[in-house]
Amino acid sequence: MKDLVRQKISINVDIMDLLNQQIKKEAHSSSAYLAMASWCDQNGLNYSAEFFYKQSEEEREHMLKIFKFINDNGGTAYSPEVKSVMHEFNSLQEIFEAALDQEIEITKSIHSIVFKARKVQDLSSEYFLQWFINEQMEEEQKMRRVLELFDLMGTDGIALKLIDERVKDI
Amino acid sequence: MNLLYKSYYYSSYQCDNKRCFFVDFGDKPVKLSFCQLLALRQKVNSIDLNAHFDSNSNSHGIEILTLCNREHILILDTLQVIDLKQLIKSTFGMLELHALVAQTI
Repeated sequence: MKDLVRQKISINVDIMDLLNQQIKKEAHSSSAYLAMASWCDQNGLNYSAEFFYKQSEEEREHMLKIFKFINDNGGTAYSPEVKSVMHEFNSLQEIFEAALDQEIEITKSIHSIVFKARKVQDLSSEYFLQWFINEQMEEEQKMRRVLELFDLMGTDGIALKLIDERVKDI
Repeated sequence: MNLLYKSYYYSSYQCDNKRCFFVDFGDKPVKLSFCQLLALRQKVNSIDLNAHFDSNSNSHGIEILTLCNREHILILDTLQVIDLKQLIKSTFGMLELHALVAQTI
């Protein structure tokens, strides 16, 4: 009997499922950043808004990267449905904390796919995901740097405006 | 044609000559490319079986599935859904097993 599956697809089918789940997470992340950008816009925090618009775009690019990887290798990528995006926040600090938590969740998810890819000896997927591991480190660092500004400057008076202005350089 | 798995209601086959798969739904054999088999797998896996036992979520206990870009339509009751889930899981299990055996020989 021919190994038709291997002839049709270069990646492991279970890894394809996990990558499709990752697509959903990246799409959710992109929408969540868009909601954060909207909140910042409404509250006059223009640089932070710009920062989150850019983050939203980046998450979408990550999603498309995975999407194309699955399809290019013979699998089927599924267009994600995005549900329950949070639009209400109490402060800019809360937003950045939520953003960091979100990035940590994405990092954990990527790592668990890498572990699974290693287990099933899917080297193509493992190699592909290396880029995401580095990218996630950078994303987490960005959010941490902003949160450090809150620790340093507080949120009273002009501090919030100064933090907003510094966000553009991060 | 090579039989991959036979469940209570259905059976799956691989055809080396035509480089495709067949699922025999009892009265209806359906030819599937690998992509279409993946799509069927996705649809079957996303069926919420719990909803079949909750009269508010799925009061009729049936599932409607379309296959091969809506070329075929299937209407399944709860037992058939359970059986189809088993068929899909085992078919992919057998394909994986075959790949492992082919790799070691």
